[in-house]
Amino acid sequence: MENFTNEPIDISALPRYEAVNLNALQPKYWNVILFNIAAIFLIIGIALAVIIYFVEEIHSMAWLFGLVYVLFLGFTFLLSKISFQKRGFAFREHDVIYRSGIIATNTMIIPYNRVQHVALHEGFISRYFDLAKVEIFTAGGDSSDVSIPGIKKEQAEDIKQLLMGKIQKQL
Amino acid sequence: MIKSEFSTPQRQSKTGLLVLFANTVFEFLKAMWILLVVFFLRGKTMDVFWGIGGILLVLLGFGVYSYLKYRTFTFYIDEEQNEFIVQHGILNKTKTVIQLHKIQQVNLKQNIIHRIVNVYQVNIDSAGSEEKEAVINAVSKEVAMALKAKLLDNERVEVVDNSVEVEKEIEDKPFLKIDLISLLKVGITSNYAKSIGLLLTFFFTIYENLNHAGADEFIDGSKVEDFIQSNTEVYSILLATALLFTIIFIINIVRTLAKYYGFKIAKHKGSLIMSYGLIATQSTILKPEKVQIVKITRNFFQKKLKILEIKIKQTINDDSKQDKSTIEIPGCNEIERDEILQLIFNEIPEKGEKLKPNIRKLLFSIFILIVLPLTAYLSIGNWFANSIFEYKSIAIVYTIFVLIGLLFGFKNNSLFINNRHIIMQSGAWDVDNEIIKIEKIQAITTSQLFWHKSLNIGSLTIHTAGGNISFQLGKFDKINQYINLWLYQIEKNESNWN
Repeated sequence: MENFTNEPIDISALPRYEAVNLNALQPKYWNVILFNIAAIFLIIGIALAVIIYFVEEIHSMAWLFGLVYVLFLGFTFLLSKISFQKRGFAFREHDVIYRSGIIATNTMIIPYNRVQHVALHEGFISRYFDLAKVEIFTAGGDSSDVSIPGIKKEQAEDIKQLLMGKIQKQL
Repeated sequence: MIKSEFSTPQRQSKTGLLVLFANTVFEFLKAMWILLVVFFLRGKTMDVFWGIGGILLVLLGFGVYSYLKYRTFTFYIDEEQNEFIVQHGILNKTKTVIQLHKIQQVNLKQNIIHRIVNVYQVNIDSAGSEEKEAVINAVSKEVAMALKAKLLDNERVEVVDNSVEVEKEIEDKPFLKIDLISLLKVGITSNYAKSIGLLLTFFFTIYENLNHAGADEFIDGSKVEDFIQSNTEVYSILLATALLFTIIFIINIVRTLAKYYGFKIAKHKGSLIMSYGLIATQSTILKPEKVQIVKITRNFFQKKLKILEIKIKQTINDDSKQDKSTIEIPGCNEIERDEILQLIFNEIPEKGEKLKPNIRKLLFSIFILIVLPLTAYLSIGNWFANSIFEYKSIAIVYTIFVLIGLLFGFKNNSLFINNRHIIMQSGAWDVDNEIIKIEKIQAITTSQLFWHKSLNIGSLTIHTAGGNISFQLGKFDKINQYINLWLYQIEKNESNWN
């Protein structure tokens, strides 16, 4: 009992989550995003070309489809770029912070003592670039889980070990 | 370890056969009743004769089926592995294995047939990522009680060990009993939307089934038309509305009574024990440490009648079980509310500092729900179809209703914060107060639109294991300050949540 104190907390002196400098995702992860966009648009493009080729009534409008396709591609590219640049994460002593969003900035904070389990996910393309995704699960269901992509494989392993250690300690 | 009576596979109670049989027949009737009614009403004498024969045959089949089901259903506790095992299936065998320490709840239930033959249904709920659940349909009271005690014996958390004692306790000294009057009050003041939904589903089911049965002549549309023509339009609408409301009131009252009749709550070793129900008695145990969100709801009428509803959300392990993890206490008064809160939180959470959303929240809702639809309405009426202006009274009524709703919603929307709790108040008609203990927070999300940065407004979502709570467009620096405080409170403790 002698160690017990109950001083008033100085709220302004608390560490501020919003002032933390976040780590950006690995630049190589941009390649993964590009690859995904390319794959999706390749499939759409082929489907579109086939349709235009076989339906003769719309031959004359092929340029319109092309224009929309290119605009759509440009738009997706732009949004992905913004999204990529705005994402960031930080592992503090007691919690993890992940920021994302294009129009709105969403910041999620999960204290380590609420983490239920941690998983490492390597996508097909990510593996080629030696990247991994760290997935952190809580008891709060889907909406309070977080997955941070574009982290170097070794670093992701370290993070997982760190979190596992923290969870073990609390149990 | 002493071998218990459950260590060898055993069947359900013999009298339980009747329950199995009745359940099968009931399921059959539920699916087929409209077809049967149509058949007997329209069929010729000969057909009816054959029909009765057919039904007898079907019943015999069900009898055999129920017997086989009874023979193949066994359950036991594997003492070495510490597992509870249920095996069933006539052709396809299913084996459900539940580890004893994962068992969260064991509920005993009785419907009307159970009561007649004096047997119980035992429901076993488990926790964990592999969600499992076992139902034993019919066992005698002694077996049910013994099984419950045996299964819960292995629970890590403090447990209600003697079920007989529990049943007695709830009979002897319930600390809260909801009387008939309160239930009637609840029935007429809440759940309108739910009842309308039920009503619609009911009519559609009947209509569809009749159509399928080729009984178009039963539905005589022309009579309704005649009626409407013979009376003025306004009169018909008034009558229809009055009729609708009467039906809704009746449905509401019947539903509330059937579900909550004889609602009793008793305290037992720090847990709340509830039992309720007219036709099927349900009993549930609520452990305060599992409570995530307590929601207190009250509308204008209920305030005048001095009643309120409490919903208690527990840990959700699985979305499909969301209904089960929410416990409703209908129609208690303020003193009883305080007693329940005291039991759950060990104190009555005060409304601390109050945060209000920015006026933009109201303006934005008005824009989306009033300005946009009205603009669409006016422009369509102006340029495309002038005829829709005939319904302008609907548009006016809609605007007034929605505007009033939004104004009240905005007025009520606020976030109260004290040292240990967060209380979110919201709602236009039904005013909700959702109470969260800060240590139950699982994660926090903030969200800010980029043009709101300079205005210092942003939104907050608090995630718990029982659902989320959102507070939109509040003062962002204030919100952030509180988040930092909450994080400190959560993280300074090494202890895990629960």
